[in-house]
Amino acid sequence: MSLVKQLWLAITLVMLSAFGISLVVNVYSSRQYLEQQLQIKNIDNATSLALSLSQMEKDPPTLELMVSSQFDIGHYRFIRIVAPSGQTLIEKNYEGKAVDVPQWFVNLIPLRVQNGQALIQEGWKQYGTLTLASHDQYAYKSLWDGTRQLLIWFLLGGLLTGLLGMTLLRFITRPLLDVVAQAQALAERRFKTVNEPRTPELRAVTRAMNHMVGLLKTMFAEEAQRLETLRDRVNHDAVTGLANREYFLSQLGEIMSGEQHGSTGSLVIIRLDDLNKLNDKLGHQGADRLLRSLGDLLHDGQQDYAGRLKGGEFAVVYPSQDSAAQAAQTLHARLLQDWLPQWQAKCPDLFHLVAVRYQRHQSLGELLAQADQALAQAQAKGQNNWHAPEEGSNKLTIPAEQWRSLLTDAIRVGRLSLAWFPVVKGAQGQLLHREGSLRLQTETAAPLLTAGDFLPMAAKLKLTAPIDLEVVRMALNGLRGSSGDMAVNLSSESITDFSFRNQLGELLQAQPALRVRLLFEVPEFGVARHFEAFQDLTQRLKSLGCRVGIKYFGQNFLESGKLASLGLDYIKVDPGYVRGIGSHSGNQEFLTGLCTMAHTLGMLVIAAGVEQGQDLALLEKLGFDGMTGPGVRRTDQV
Amino acid sequence: MRNLNLYLLTMLSALAGHLPVRLISLVLAAGLGWTLAQPGLDRLQLLAQQRYGQPATETVISWRHMLEESRALPDDEKLKAVNQFFNRRIRFNADQAVWGMPDYWATPLEFIGRAQGDCEDFAIAKYISLLMLGVPNDKLRLIYVRARFGGSLILNTEAHMVLGYYVDPAGDPIILDSLLNSIRPAAARTDLTPIFSFNSQGLWVPGAPNLGADPTARLSRWRDVLDRIKIDGIQL
Repeated sequence: MSLVKQLWLAITLVMLSAFGISLVVNVYSSRQYLEQQLQIKNIDNATSLALSLSQMEKDPPTLELMVSSQFDIGHYRFIRIVAPSGQTLIEKNYEGKAVDVPQWFVNLIPLRVQNGQALIQEGWKQYGTLTLASHDQYAYKSLWDGTRQLLIWFLLGGLLTGLLGMTLLRFITRPLLDVVAQAQALAERRFKTVNEPRTPELRAVTRAMNHMVGLLKTMFAEEAQRLETLRDRVNHDAVTGLANREYFLSQLGEIMSGEQHGSTGSLVIIRLDDLNKLNDKLGHQGADRLLRSLGDLLHDGQQDYAGRLKGGEFAVVYPSQDSAAQAAQTLHARLLQDWLPQWQAKCPDLFHLVAVRYQRHQSLGELLAQADQALAQAQAKGQNNWHAPEEGSNKLTIPAEQWRSLLTDAIRVGRLSLAWFPVVKGAQGQLLHREGSLRLQTETAAPLLTAGDFLPMAAKLKLTAPIDLEVVRMALNGLRGSSGDMAVNLSSESITDFSFRNQLGELLQAQPALRVRLLFEVPEFGVARHFEAFQDLTQRLKSLGCRVGIKYFGQNFLESGKLASLGLDYIKVDPGYVRGIGSHSGNQEFLTGLCTMAHTLGMLVIAAGVEQGQDLALLEKLGFDGMTGPGVRRTDQV
Repeated sequence: MRNLNLYLLTMLSALAGHLPVRLISLVLAAGLGWTLAQPGLDRLQLLAQQRYGQPATETVISWRHMLEESRALPDDEKLKAVNQFFNRRIRFNADQAVWGMPDYWATPLEFIGRAQGDCEDFAIAKYISLLMLGVPNDKLRLIYVRARFGGSLILNTEAHMVLGYYVDPAGDPIILDSLLNSIRPAAARTDLTPIFSFNSQGLWVPGAPNLGADPTARLSRWRDVLDRIKIDGIQL
């Protein structure tokens, strides 16, 4: 039985006994009072009647009249005069039964009153003994009415006390419920602190739990800090803070082949002509300053991603920019404005800049070779200039307005579809769930577009919410026709939309059996940018029994220690860390730490973008619970 | 008898540390060979000792003695013994002088303790003593009378109370009066005119719960005195 129920029971019992006892006491004291009153009346009336009769002639008519007048006008059950010889001289009895008091009540609480008795004299002689009893019907009536009234008052009082008690109890137990909620959150590995209640006992508990949560959070923060340092050291260049060659190429590979971005983009290379000469001119520290300022400028971008390939060679990838010339021009303009002026005086001949366009699934080597070739051509254009080779015309160019009708039609007609990719457990390939990836067919027989091709445009047109709802509908349909769990992506624009979150809730509400097999993923940068919205979404989805995870995890999670308070089910680690893991001992250490931390928080860790089958065993050893990517084979193909 | 001895023993041991006088009087009393031994009367005697001192205690002892001796006598002898006992030992005095109030009904204990009282106090003490001797209640009446004093020329009337004993329920009573040592039939008492009579019938039912439980008893002078008599330790 819950504590609240027990308290209720206790209150009810106490109230009942208090009311019951006071009712009994009240009834009994009323009865005693009535008995006393009747008794006094009996005695006094007997005495005064006997006294009057003693003083009078006692011929039968006078006696009869005296007794009758007392009896008829007063309230008596009987008046009787008995001579010393035992002969009854006169007797009057009341015959009617006047008032409506139930017999059981009379039997339950009888009034015990002695008759009044007095002696009548006739000179020195005894005339007789007068005995009388007053009527007790009205006393019963008053007792009965009083008891009923009391009962009604007690019921009313009980009701009022009950209401008051309910309010009080709610007030008293509210902090308790908070404590319970905190304990439950802890059990689900959500580490949140709550306000300390005023009740001392609960305050001690809350304080202890808050303290523990605080300690755990500190521990996580320390661990996260350590991992972040490790990640930085392993994947970033010490001087500029940009990604190092390995990490940049791994990211570039993911951007080029993954589904997060469009099928075409641009790679910009900046080459500082002679690093040794710069060292000579500026001194070692001066040269470092120059590199760092360049790094800061390149790091500044939003969607683009920069790295230092080797000593004087820097690269920036613009995933959504399919015009290399434009990418080159934009960056070149920024260099001329914000960076070059500081250094031009000492080093007039500073850099060459080239840009090349890439296609999805183009090989990395081929792209770098193109860039090298372009650099050679750029030399011809002179210092501090840019060059972008002529671009082919085989790109998909659709104006923005057309996109709107295309996307709305696609939702309406059903041109959207989901491609399912397995996420498996360990090297054995046991299926954990399938991840749905969005596809769009613009027109019949046209090639399928991947999410990266049209979602950026959908985001610009604010159409992600209806698309994501459609995705969830398709996933629910998919679940209906198959076994196993399914994961779908929600875009970061959708989760900020309050009405989207409501609609999603309603949609899931109607599918209690299917929704527990559904997993939702949001990209990490979306979570970081819209944390409040994501938290709300997570709470709603988890209360419905769905699971929630973060995708592309690892790029900026470490900046927010808020992860501990979310209670997520899993994270999918960014492919940038997973690619070529076999030969990257630094990232192996980082990922081991990440897996340990995530497990402490009760989350599964899934490696995304696994390219080679031989990496599976290694990833499992590092602590990964699941893997997905082109290198993953399922043993149980549907 | 065993009960009595046990009782005396406990009384003695309980009082061992008290005044020697009290101890002596108790030993004395025990030596007299009580047979009318009631715990209630022992209590009454103790109260007399505590409240009124040695002379009162001695009166109580002789009262008990008188009661014990009269127990086996016929009713008229009982009346004589009781009447004599009180009329000789107790001095008539007005309530105002004895109790400092115009009208006060004293219990036998108070009456004996002060060794003085007025007509009601005499009547009550005699009434209670006779009841203790087993005289039936319905033969006894406390009677309010109008009394004439003085010669036949100057008529001086006064409210008075006497105790009447009805030998025959239908006949005249004989009168026990505090002012006269002899017991005379009512017909011989031309100086008295009866007004009203009462006794404890209907008020003091044997075996009924103590009237003290009923606070209204205090409001009636008669019920009050009956109540206090019970408290003093007289059980009937």
